[in-house]
Amino acid sequence: MVFDKVKEIIAEELGVEEDKILMESDLSENLGADSLDAIELIMAIEEAFDIEIPDNEATKIKLVSDIVNFLVEAGK
Amino acid sequence: MKLKPLTINDKVVKFPIIQGGMGIRISLNKLTSACMNSGIIATISAAQPGFLNKNFRKDPIGENKKELKKEINKARANSKDGILGVNLMHAGTNFPDYASFLAKQDIDFIVSGAGLPLDLPEYLEGSNVKGAFIISSGRAAKILLRSWDRRYQYMPAFIVCEGPLAGGHLGFSKEQMASGDYDSLEKIVIDTKEVVQDYEKKYNVKIPIIAGGGIHDGHDMAKMIKVGADGVQIATRFIATYECDVSESYKQMIIDSKKEDIVTVASPAGLPGRAVRNFLTKSLEKHNLELHYCVDCLKTCKKKDIPYCITEQLGNSTSGDKNGLIFTGAKAYLIKKMDYIDNIVTEIIRDCKKDLKLNGGLI
Repeated sequence: MVFDKVKEIIAEELGVEEDKILMESDLSENLGADSLDAIELIMAIEEAFDIEIPDNEATKIKLVSDIVNFLVEAGK
Repeated sequence: MKLKPLTINDKVVKFPIIQGGMGIRISLNKLTSACMNSGIIATISAAQPGFLNKNFRKDPIGENKKELKKEINKARANSKDGILGVNLMHAGTNFPDYASFLAKQDIDFIVSGAGLPLDLPEYLEGSNVKGAFIISSGRAAKILLRSWDRRYQYMPAFIVCEGPLAGGHLGFSKEQMASGDYDSLEKIVIDTKEVVQDYEKKYNVKIPIIAGGGIHDGHDMAKMIKVGADGVQIATRFIATYECDVSESYKQMIIDSKKEDIVTVASPAGLPGRAVRNFLTKSLEKHNLELHYCVDCLKTCKKKDIPYCITEQLGNSTSGDKNGLIFTGAKAYLIKKMDYIDNIVTEIIRDCKKDLKLNGGLI
């Protein structure tokens, strides 16, 4: 499932417990990601899912669900 | 022994110094021509060069491009073989538009900081203009290299490491500046040096690491070369010169500043900036300044409830208003008099070579 894989990557990149990561978690407010973390996270997602997230899409990402929805819509 | 020269865009300068870009209208054709003719690399600032034009508030992009072209062509006419670049802030609006425009001009590089220019190589395709970036941590360098490698198979012509003593916008948060929880320039250089290695091998290229922020004299320069920098970026030191494009009053504010006059102010971009204490910085301790117009200059500016308008205040000060924003590096107070670029470069190289125990004249 996409969400589980995303959760795993976020836990790894941001160093947070997996059970703290919810669909509605805000990456910066709830999970403590700064702007560099966010870019690293996007790159890790791109690598893991073999997909390119354009900058204009990447800047819209705020919540965990934004990532998951993008991936699901992209057919992942 | 000699100082190792710097090679950028297949051109070589004898002294490994880059004159850092300074806006608004501080590093334009006069300063950059003098720098190139003194044997160092020069950088025009793309920050609102059209500020003084009548039509600026109506068409900032058009006026800025017109001025950029004019400044680049004049500088180029004065130094055909010099290494000339433009600093284009990534936080500025219309970055893709300006970058594509600059890629068509007679310059050697676009260097981009104030944010991570992940997309810069996109606008350089098919151009002779090279891309470079400014970062304030080894981590940011790593992210950019990884991203440029993956998306564009493109490596920067050089990397500027800008430390906490730099002028203008700083790549550190207000909290970091207040608590002192930031890396020294030495550490940023060492960390960046380490992350470029893999990419230098992969692409079989040399990526020069340039140390900037608080480099005032040859001793500062020697310190950076000792920790592994291939060159230094110097900007503030070149303001109080006969050749600098900025207003005389701005130069005088730099000369008159004492150590306690160098302060950090909040910028509308949300980052701390370093400036000379004056009417503006004192007013800001009490209240926000009135805003008179907006040319939509920064992506990161909220445009409302901001302390002041950066284009208005910086543009005013560099055109002669002592009450505007006087951006500066941390060591401006060491500057005591007006001088010529060539004298300053000669002195810096002499002292640097002495510290590095390199003999044999100037070069």
